[in-house]
Amino acid sequence: MVNQKITCIILLVLSTIAILACLVVDFEAWIVYTVAIFGIPAWVLALGLLTMAKPKPEDAEERVREPFTGY
Amino acid sequence: MNLMADILINVVIAFLAGSLLLGLHRKVMARVQKRPGPPIVQHLIHSLKFFFKETAIPKTVSKVFYIGIVFILALIWIVGVIVGPVAHDSLLILFGVYAVYKIVEHNSGSSSGSPYGKLSCVRAVLSAATELPLFAAIVFVYLVTGTMNIGEIIAYQSVHGPLIFSIPLAALMFFMLIITKSPYSPFAITKDKALISGFETEHFGFLRGFMLFSESIAWYVMLWVFLTIFFGPLTAVGYLVGMIAISFITGFINAATPLLSPNHSVMTQITIGAICFFGTVLMIFTGVVA
Repeated sequence: MVNQKITCIILLVLSTIAILACLVVDFEAWIVYTVAIFGIPAWVLALGLLTMAKPKPEDAEERVREPFTGY
Repeated sequence: MNLMADILINVVIAFLAGSLLLGLHRKVMARVQKRPGPPIVQHLIHSLKFFFKETAIPKTVSKVFYIGIVFILALIWIVGVIVGPVAHDSLLILFGVYAVYKIVEHNSGSSSGSPYGKLSCVRAVLSAATELPLFAAIVFVYLVTGTMNIGEIIAYQSVHGPLIFSIPLAALMFFMLIITKSPYSPFAITKDKALISGFETEHFGFLRGFMLFSESIAWYVMLWVFLTIFFGPLTAVGYLVGMIAISFITGFINAATPLLSPNHSVMTQITIGAICFFGTVLMIFTGVVA
């Protein structure tokens, strides 16, 4: 879980910097497309994994053992 | 305008407009079935709400794949926004986007470890039949206009008039694809309620919200492409009216039509596709299409 949090923070920082750089500097089109295609989903994914609510420690085991619940 | 700003604005518009159109679609279906239905903004609120819902990763899943497939789903539809509304590039790339979407449906189901997801994954392979009419529609657009570039197709239509009048059966084939991808479609065999939520069953909480985000963009992109390649150069108001009209029509069709069984769904799609294909070939070779 700690590893996941660190990875998400790194991903969020990198994608934010890349997107902001493309907003400020006029790079070649292929660079901007690459940053947009990978950077925007990475930004949303990293932010979501950081902001999502986690189960309480006493419920955590039950949650991962109880598949097919839907939302 | 800065290219990245253009992309970001288009992605946000696609998400907001797609969410509201899907909300409208659900509202129309409810009214046809004599229910009040949820508010039109409900789909948008759902998508955002799920980002903060409690999320756990079940033990049965293949974790990297389970999270990665949601990332790929967003990635391909952002490619769709770039190729369509932003760059007006090739239709073939959009066909590729749609083909990868099928792979996402397949792998999302198989990564979950859920029997519902796996059955949906098998049905995703069957439902690849929808790609044939899409490919045929793109080929006919190429035969008539001589190009696959969306910008050049728009220019062609501004001179010769909308393609809906010259190759209506190809437009019908494309419309079939839109019906197939609309929620509660008679052809939506991968999301049959007998399979809970199909390939999405095990993606709940934030991951479901992320999927809804991508699906809203997908709905907007598909409607945008259909309107652009068959109804010629349109203004923003034209796109808005067209998208609302299509969401209304698909809502009516889906509310009034039961879900078909997988074999009936595939055979119906192939039959309609074949009739439209040979009809368009006949129109081209008999000189009906200039």
